[in-house]
Amino acid sequence: MGAATTANGRLSSEARGGSRLSASALIGPATVFVMLGMIVPLLILLRYSLNQYDPRELMIETFSLENYVKFFSDDYYWDVFLTTVRVATSCTLLCLLLGFPLAYVLARTQSRFKSLFIMLVVLPLFVGNAVRAAGWMSLFGSRGFLSVSLQWLGLADEPVEVMFTETAVIVGIISVNLPFMVLTLQSVIESISRSVEEAAFSLGAGPWAMFQRVLWPLALPGIIAGVILTFILAMNAYATPVLLGGPKFNMMAPLVFDQMRLGNWPFGAAVSFILMITTLVLTALSSYWMGKRYRR
Amino acid sequence: MGYVKKGYGPSRRQMLQGAAGLAGAAALGAGVPALAADKGTIVVGTWGGDYAKLLTKNIEEPILEKEGWEVIQDQAGDPERRAKMMAERRLPRGTTDVQGLSGSNIYQMGAAGVTAEIDYSRIPNAPHLLDSMKYKYGVGQIYSGMVGVYTPKVVPDAEAPKSYRDVFDPKWGDKLGIIDIQYQYTMVAAALANGGSPDNLEPGKELLVAARKAGCRIYPTNEAFAQAMKAEEFGVGIMWKARTVQWQNAGIDVKAVAPSEGTLAYVSGFAVPKNAPNMDGAYAYLNAMLEPSAQEAFAEDMGYNPTVNDAKIPPELNARIGFTPEQVAALVNLDYAYMTDHDVELKEWWDKEFVG
Repeated sequence: MGAATTANGRLSSEARGGSRLSASALIGPATVFVMLGMIVPLLILLRYSLNQYDPRELMIETFSLENYVKFFSDDYYWDVFLTTVRVATSCTLLCLLLGFPLAYVLARTQSRFKSLFIMLVVLPLFVGNAVRAAGWMSLFGSRGFLSVSLQWLGLADEPVEVMFTETAVIVGIISVNLPFMVLTLQSVIESISRSVEEAAFSLGAGPWAMFQRVLWPLALPGIIAGVILTFILAMNAYATPVLLGGPKFNMMAPLVFDQMRLGNWPFGAAVSFILMITTLVLTALSSYWMGKRYRR
Repeated sequence: MGYVKKGYGPSRRQMLQGAAGLAGAAALGAGVPALAADKGTIVVGTWGGDYAKLLTKNIEEPILEKEGWEVIQDQAGDPERRAKMMAERRLPRGTTDVQGLSGSNIYQMGAAGVTAEIDYSRIPNAPHLLDSMKYKYGVGQIYSGMVGVYTPKVVPDAEAPKSYRDVFDPKWGDKLGIIDIQYQYTMVAAALANGGSPDNLEPGKELLVAARKAGCRIYPTNEAFAQAMKAEEFGVGIMWKARTVQWQNAGIDVKAVAPSEGTLAYVSGFAVPKNAPNMDGAYAYLNAMLEPSAQEAFAEDMGYNPTVNDAKIPPELNARIGFTPEQVAALVNLDYAYMTDHDVELKEWWDKEFVG
């Protein structure tokens, strides 16, 4: 920095201008790429959502909120919306509950097999969504492994129907999302010094108090990141709800596809926007609430 | 959507890129691939999987590529391809020359002004095409019928359904299986079963709701339906006869019955986008798919019936995949105009009132 740095270490205005210029040059191409690749299509989709569907023309250009009104005034679509939020919330909380202890063990283990354990956590992501769902299908069918095993063990008298239920979908989504939660938490917990935990114990804190007062607040950035990641993935899940939930179970992403398949782009676009805005708002609110509640 | 290049030779772009190398190799007398694409490139929008492979095996390699065409497949489900056609419709030049679509989607794309009216004088094989397969905006390639199906493991032959009415009878309870993605044909079949017609589906709704209340099972896809039938979760339903033949070949104990109300016909064919970059190629494709050899091969490989009158189907194969002259005369087509106009509301009823 030398000449460009003032006595108190702050950059001169000339140097600040130069760094702003180079920063702009660095982020410029990516910004243009994102603008063209994401923002522009989103704006087009927003415009479509204000159009009208026509079976012959497919889309009539107009400015109308009727697609949004239709969604919010129909119990069926409300139910799909609430089911999506409920499933995404359940999956996120269960991922956090199941993922935190696992991430903690992975972060603290000194085992030479640590890399192997991490690979095992990531293993489900090596298989495509549809193939993974096919595995669950063979397990959950009324004549699947689970049902037959329960009957064989005498724990059930009749075939157990897990397939095409909300439970099947939640289990399926958790199997996809859990690695994201675990890996995010593990990297954050690893960065928290073990001595901080030992200090808490030496001051008389029990394991629960240490977790609540030390580990949880320090791991909060990772928890928030993991929650955001898994919540967004669950809200937008497509293959798992379709394959494991069956026709009777509906979530927002399959609804979007259904409408697009029918050629009803305006309504499909409106549903897409409702899904996206809901995801963004709930994500922002939960992050804000968690930050405010625990960052004291 | 994946592009799959077909052909003996490289694409033109690759040819340009490798021109020097190829020229050098040729000068040295080295063996180079035959440059078959001297007539140009045909881009075909099609479903993937076995169907795409059979297009290659029965139409593209043995006929078009020998004639000097290079064929590229744009593989995707039909919703995605229709969306792409819609998005491209204002462009002076699209990206595909022909698109594989079902009969009702051929009608929908034509009505939306996306596809061109077919000029049958440009198809030398058109005189052999069955009249019922000549559409204004597309050409039927193969057809089958929606028949009653049952597995003798669950439903004894003596109790086998003989009509759509028998299939949708609430007496079956959870022994009746219904496929979610087949909602259009299921609703029309139920209408025929209960005194309705392809443009009057109301009577069928009543029957479907009764079957639903009795506990019928609903499966998301044809494959899930087949898997569940194999596992004896249910015993009766409706399905394309061609698909039934494929399932029989795969070892599933399933039998087909042509319903007494008349069998609903399913037609799959090809349409030409108005902005197809290679119209000559598009018509070459339409003509090639109607060649007797291609039609016979599709009957053999896939169990679908030919749409031309000069294909020779062995009697024993015809007995498995085909229909008697009486059954052919009684084939019932969807009312494509009605389905196009009411598809969204029919699906809403299906989702809300039937499935939900």
